[in-house]
Amino acid sequence: MSGGEREPSPEAGTDGGLRDGVAGRLRGWRPAVAMAARNLRRNRVRTVLAVLGVCIGVLAVAALGIFGNVLALGAQDAIGDIGTQVVVSPNADAGVESLSAADVASLRRAVDDPAVGDPAVVPLYSDNAVVEGPSSQTFATVYGVEEPGLAFEAAEGRLPDRHRQGAIVGAGVAEDLGVGAGDTVGIAGSQVRVVAVLAESQTFSPVAPDDAVFLPESAFAADGYAQALVVAESGETARAAADAIREDVNAREERVDLFELAAIVDEINDFFDLLSTFLLGLGAISLVVAGVSILNVMLMSTVERRQEIGVMRAVGVTRRDVLRVLLAEAGLIGAAGAAAGTLLTVLLVAGLVAATPAVDAALVLDPTNGYYLLLALGFGVGVGLVSGAYPAWKAANERPVEALRS
Amino acid sequence: MYSVELRGATKRYPGGGAEPVVALDNVDFAVEPGEFVAVVGPSGSGKSTLLNVLGLLDDPTEGWRLLDGTDVTELTVAERTAARKESIGFVFQDFHLLPTLTAVENVALPTAFDPGDESDRAADLLGRFGLGDRLDHEPSELSGGQKQRVAIARSLINEPAVLLADEPTGNLDTETGESILAEFERVKEEGVAVVAVTHDPLVEGFADRVVELTDGVLEGGIPDEADPVNDPSPAPDADSGIAPGER
Repeated sequence: MSGGEREPSPEAGTDGGLRDGVAGRLRGWRPAVAMAARNLRRNRVRTVLAVLGVCIGVLAVAALGIFGNVLALGAQDAIGDIGTQVVVSPNADAGVESLSAADVASLRRAVDDPAVGDPAVVPLYSDNAVVEGPSSQTFATVYGVEEPGLAFEAAEGRLPDRHRQGAIVGAGVAEDLGVGAGDTVGIAGSQVRVVAVLAESQTFSPVAPDDAVFLPESAFAADGYAQALVVAESGETARAAADAIREDVNAREERVDLFELAAIVDEINDFFDLLSTFLLGLGAISLVVAGVSILNVMLMSTVERRQEIGVMRAVGVTRRDVLRVLLAEAGLIGAAGAAAGTLLTVLLVAGLVAATPAVDAALVLDPTNGYYLLLALGFGVGVGLVSGAYPAWKAANERPVEALRS
Repeated sequence: MYSVELRGATKRYPGGGAEPVVALDNVDFAVEPGEFVAVVGPSGSGKSTLLNVLGLLDDPTEGWRLLDGTDVTELTVAERTAARKESIGFVFQDFHLLPTLTAVENVALPTAFDPGDESDRAADLLGRFGLGDRLDHEPSELSGGQKQRVAIARSLINEPAVLLADEPTGNLDTETGESILAEFERVKEEGVAVVAVTHDPLVEGFADRVVELTDGVLEGGIPDEADPVNDPSPAPDADSGIAPGER
């Protein structure tokens, strides 16, 4: 019904264009905002308390959002390269007991594609054995591997290009037995020289190289490989390699099972997304409470100022302009609270980083955290406007004759 | 042509019981430009309702309402707001100034949301009412008489055809009341029709014409009923005069 009210913009309907229309619209808001600011100053304590409510709500959303984000970023940092390996094993359900040389060849063919980054395929024989050191012994997985350098890194000694003789010992086993490169270990009764000790594994893998000993393939009499490692450059290429294997090697029959760490990384990321959402939700609750307090403040103040609003309407102020004044009041509360809350969040996070050396400053300065600040800022203003909408609408639409009747 | 005119205006409120309350009963009322009319009557006689209907704050249940010769019986909310701003000034018993605004801003309130600054005109008006040195004072810093002068200045900012005053001297002592009424005399000399609803005998002394409202019935509402020039333009029709209430 307010469509018939006189539009303050004189340019309306002319060629004045969009900019004039927008300028006219903004001009209509300026006196409303000025009047709103004065009305807010009238009851300072109440205004300050409402602003404080929004401030706390925005602080909660921004701080919890950033907290969750820093956790996720930290986790991503820590598990960084976990997703670069795909473990291929025979599918026992389909009756495949081991990977044949033909299987390995078809694996290599499947991933021999620049699009998947041409990852290395490292087949492994596998067995279990008691490994004896000079003073103690331990139970370990024994792998037969030809090209250990493609999949592992040495902490001590050197990994041979072709593993012909000697044992490569995982970090855990080396520590248990107290052996290093050049020492001798007893494996299944025979003495083998340790040519290298592997660096401690940074990733979780079912191969568990820390607790394993790697021998040349010639040490095994088995007729098939127990596993094959596909070692890619990145999580993405690992996933692409896994997809390629599924398409090619498993095309006719499910010959191999794939253990993809990239999938686990995805799940971890999903978890942190969930955590972030949960934390944001917690913050949002306090913002909703702040919204209710704005609603309360605005309702109280419009009831108190009922006559004033009635006078404004009686002397010819349009419903739209009354609505603007009241919306501007709520919006100003929201904006002031949001600005204060954002500032407070920045200070809080900065203080936290300064006080706890464990928090990596680079993670906190990550640009994605700014997104949470903006989000909270926007929410704060939005909560003000949404909460102010009902009281403003109600007051603007009251009949002046009722409002003036004291 | 009258500044404001009611013909056969009836206002009924739904009462608590079966019978609606009749606040105005077939009222004929008209004011000429530059005329000061006092409406008197006991409490509950319908004086405020008359003022609200005249001031486009309320609609008559039946009858016609004309403003400057234009039929304004049935208007939308927005049209009524615009018409109030255009043609009607209000002065209230309680002054009803906005406490957060200065005198000048209160006077300019009806135009506050329009493009253009009416502060100078508002200041001029305040100067005319002897408040040239109170321009930036807030209402709390003004006396009752000064507040009512600010209110009168506000009612004139849009050069209205009619000034409607509800007990304008009700909250003022006799001396101040007289000075306010003297201001009304000046206002009417500019061609503005002034209608004051009052209990105050003082107002009757200043009025050009005093009409009495008793239980919604008005006597002598038209200045010179015999004058054929002032015949109402729309032919009264018993059925179509029902106006919808506001909203």
